[in-house]
Amino acid sequence: MAPAPSKLYADDVSLVVVLLDTNPFFWSSSSLSFSQFLSHVLAFFNAILTLNQLNQVVVIATGYNSCDYIFDSSSDLNRSFENGRMPVMCSSLLQKLEEFLIKDEQFSKEEPDGRIKSSLLSGSLSMALCYIQRVFRSGALHPHPRILCLQGSPDGPEQYVAIMNAIFSAQHSLVPIDSCYIGAQNSAFLQQASYITGGVHHKPQNLDGLFQYLMTIFATDLHSRSFLNLPKPVGVDFRASCFCHKDTIDMGYICSVCLSIFCKHHKKCSTCGSVFGQAQSEVASASDKKRKTPET
Amino acid sequence: MPQVKIIAKNFMDMVASLPAIKLDMLYRNQFICEAILRSLPPLAKKYVLQMLYIDVPITSKSLQEWVIADGSSKHKVAIDRLIQLRVLEVIDRKKETAYKLNSTFQTNLRKHLINGGILPREPMPSNVTARLPTLEELDAYAHGQWEEQGVDQADLIAFLLELSFHTTGEAYSLNTLTDDQRAMIKDLADLGLVKLQQGRKESWFIPTKLATNLSVSLTDSSLRKQGFVVVETNFRLYAYSSSKLHCEILRLFSRVEYQLPNLIVGAITKESLYNAFENGITAEQIITFLQQNAHPRVAEKTPAVPENVTDQIRLWETDLNRVEMTPAHCYDEFPSRDVFEAASDFARVHCGLLWEDPKKMRMVVKAEIHMLMREHLRGNK
Repeated sequence: MAPAPSKLYADDVSLVVVLLDTNPFFWSSSSLSFSQFLSHVLAFFNAILTLNQLNQVVVIATGYNSCDYIFDSSSDLNRSFENGRMPVMCSSLLQKLEEFLIKDEQFSKEEPDGRIKSSLLSGSLSMALCYIQRVFRSGALHPHPRILCLQGSPDGPEQYVAIMNAIFSAQHSLVPIDSCYIGAQNSAFLQQASYITGGVHHKPQNLDGLFQYLMTIFATDLHSRSFLNLPKPVGVDFRASCFCHKDTIDMGYICSVCLSIFCKHHKKCSTCGSVFGQAQSEVASASDKKRKTPET
Repeated sequence: MPQVKIIAKNFMDMVASLPAIKLDMLYRNQFICEAILRSLPPLAKKYVLQMLYIDVPITSKSLQEWVIADGSSKHKVAIDRLIQLRVLEVIDRKKETAYKLNSTFQTNLRKHLINGGILPREPMPSNVTARLPTLEELDAYAHGQWEEQGVDQADLIAFLLELSFHTTGEAYSLNTLTDDQRAMIKDLADLGLVKLQQGRKESWFIPTKLATNLSVSLTDSSLRKQGFVVVETNFRLYAYSSSKLHCEILRLFSRVEYQLPNLIVGAITKESLYNAFENGITAEQIITFLQQNAHPRVAEKTPAVPENVTDQIRLWETDLNRVEMTPAHCYDEFPSRDVFEAASDFARVHCGLLWEDPKKMRMVVKAEIHMLMREHLRGNK
């Protein structure tokens, strides 16, 4: 699939919607502490707001059970900067963040075990896209929006369908999704998201210098990106999750009507209800199995 | 308010023409660093941020590697601007030039990013300021009072830039100003940048939009013109404009059918586009024009111009490029096969062989290496 067609950006005014991973399961075992991470990130937000008077930053926290808006630089409370922009932003953001974390934890009371400890990326992506749609409908003159995912938690295969839908929606609205992955393994979802929407994906080598990575790569406005050498996708992981068990698979069965993916042969498609033929014998079925590969 | 934009452009040039010592003093103020940063072209802003926490000089070659080939002119403009404003210092080493950020600027911008700037004054409480003018009244006042004046002093520049970070419409006490600034504030009031008011006990000033817009980036939203063109998927064009210029531009690449008092109706056809291409207009230029001047109603849609129209314009352009021409020479009547093969190898080595027919011993070679071929053939005989 070719990366997203580029839109014409006449100037460098940006609206950055940041999805901040607050998953306590990830942060408790991360080499970078959450407070250090916040100090890098808050300075980065201030830098974006410094670049242009009309720039806007919106922060959505991606929790373990829920997501919520944490900060909006264009709201009235945050607009009067007599006491200095950074102190106002820090106090407002940190307070909301704390309230969110307390609320998020309360949802965890009754919870089935055995789930991969991923954060609710599908929820925050959807919220970000809704906010951006509202900006689009507010009038012709609006800053160019993009989404930045700051994520460390592993991918949750049960969110595959929702995340892919959000990615295609972002692709259609020409909203690039940048992703900065600070976890241990790789995130296939984030790589795909950035590749399909024309954003930048990067996994910093050295987390002590996170601020410098953010400034160099992710602070770039969309207009300047056409002139700069930014990290390019190398070997994107396009593996899908099956619809029945949410396991990651790279060989499986596909419904020819709605293209839902299954790991085992089923009698009927669970998404569109089409009836499949009888299961073929072992030998024949091996050649029928289709592999989901990226379209070139 | 076109006058403000002209002044703003000269304002930054004026800042750039200050002597180095004065610029260094200016850069001690965090707000001025921010204002200067905002006035830079986008690529320059990025370079400043990237180099903010790097203490060692960076060679100009490494800086060049950040940009792709297409952006080299923008790169040059950015670097020149940074050097002009003395934000970037040039360090001439023996073999190559290197750049470093101005250390005063660097230190203060770092502080600004981490700590956030605190203005030296706060708005006055509303119980003291009896009736503040509304924003509309302020605007009218600013329009009325604006005049051109020559400004030379670095202090005035510093104060003006600091003023731009205040909030329009809020009242600030005159007691918070230094003596120099108090002397200046009267002139600024005459210019319409601030409005002076007196209460029973205190006096205050209120910044107008003219002041707070001083440091807005030159390409701010008020410069975005309103679009006027609607393109439909059936290739029809509707332009809500009565401007002759717009009509002529549209005539360049479309067939204008009707001209109404506020509307121009036309269609994009193969013939009209062929006309445009013959005049040297490219498909990309036409598509960019349509996209950038899209009427607000369609500008919100993605894409603003229907894909089938843009695709077809590009396809019609490639229609005219079906044949590629290369100046060349044809050789035949070789005395022997060996000579032919030697010549063919020679041409291939010089990347000039376009076509050969071994049976009839004929070949076509690029015109660029024709002289070399002649030498080679003469040498062989």
